Amino acid sequence: MTTDDLSRTFAALADPTRRAILARLAEGEATVGELAEPFDMSLPAISKHLKVLERSGLITRGRAAQQRPCRLSAEPLREAATWVERYREFWEGSFDRLDEHLKQMQRELQERKDHE
Amino acid sequence: MSNAASTSNPVEAAVPEFTITRTFDAPRELVFRAWIEPEQMTRWWGPHHYTTPESTISVDARPGGQWRATMISESDGAEWQTGGEFREIVEPERLVFTWGGVDESGKPDHGTLITVTLAEQGSGTEMTFHLSGIAGHPGDENVYDGWAECLERLAGYLVRDSGS
Repeated sequence: MTTDDLSRTFAALADPTRRAILARLAEGEATVGELAEPFDMSLPAISKHLKVLERSGLITRGRAAQQRPCRLSAEPLREAATWVERYREFWEGSFDRLDEHLKQMQRELQERKDHE
Repeated sequence: MSNAASTSNPVEAAVPEFTITRTFDAPRELVFRAWIEPEQMTRWWGPHHYTTPESTISVDARPGGQWRATMISESDGAEWQTGGEFREIVEPERLVFTWGGVDESGKPDHGTLITVTLAEQGSGTEMTFHLSGIAGHPGDENVYDGWAECLERLAGYLVRDSGS
């Protein structure tokens, strides 16, 4: 996955309606009409979101069938989740060190107090 | 609409945003200063197996002020320049700043926005750390690009590091 692909994935995920659509598709494929149902939104508005998701590679749409059912494509989602997880690990590691540092600082302050 | 924010949800897990909460056995003022004083940052800034020399750290702790720090991998000596800008400083309880990579001309990419909130808890401090991958405005492709690139470089170092 290139940086551009990842940016597109994150951009697509930035919208709550698109996240809800993806969550629905995680349960199985659906038509545009079925996807639009829970939202107070027109079909063209939903179609616009689906185009963004399709361009980002997060969903694929059937070509043959009239209704072109939408299907979740798991790989880009997995790649994006991996980046987020790495970032979290990066900071968790820093905070382990911060914890050690603060304990050391406390000890030093205490020693100084004891010497007074 | 489902709002389940569980990380086991594959959609939510992929959204570039998360919160880490930690409790430290130290007064709030001390924890706050550890975030903005170079002589303290050098002792914890960056994950395990990285050092951040004090000479590479600069901090102008006021809204609009810049910060810079260079992390060095202990395994292969690779340098990673990081930096950003302070957006909000309320001593000793709140810090908001951008965090990301820095290009050759010294310009930060503002790849992520970090909010640190410190609350007194007995004699200790509860720290809430929130990171958002979107430091600018949603739809700002440059910000997304910056965030992704920054992650890619970070991941590269992490992979190299874990292989040692």
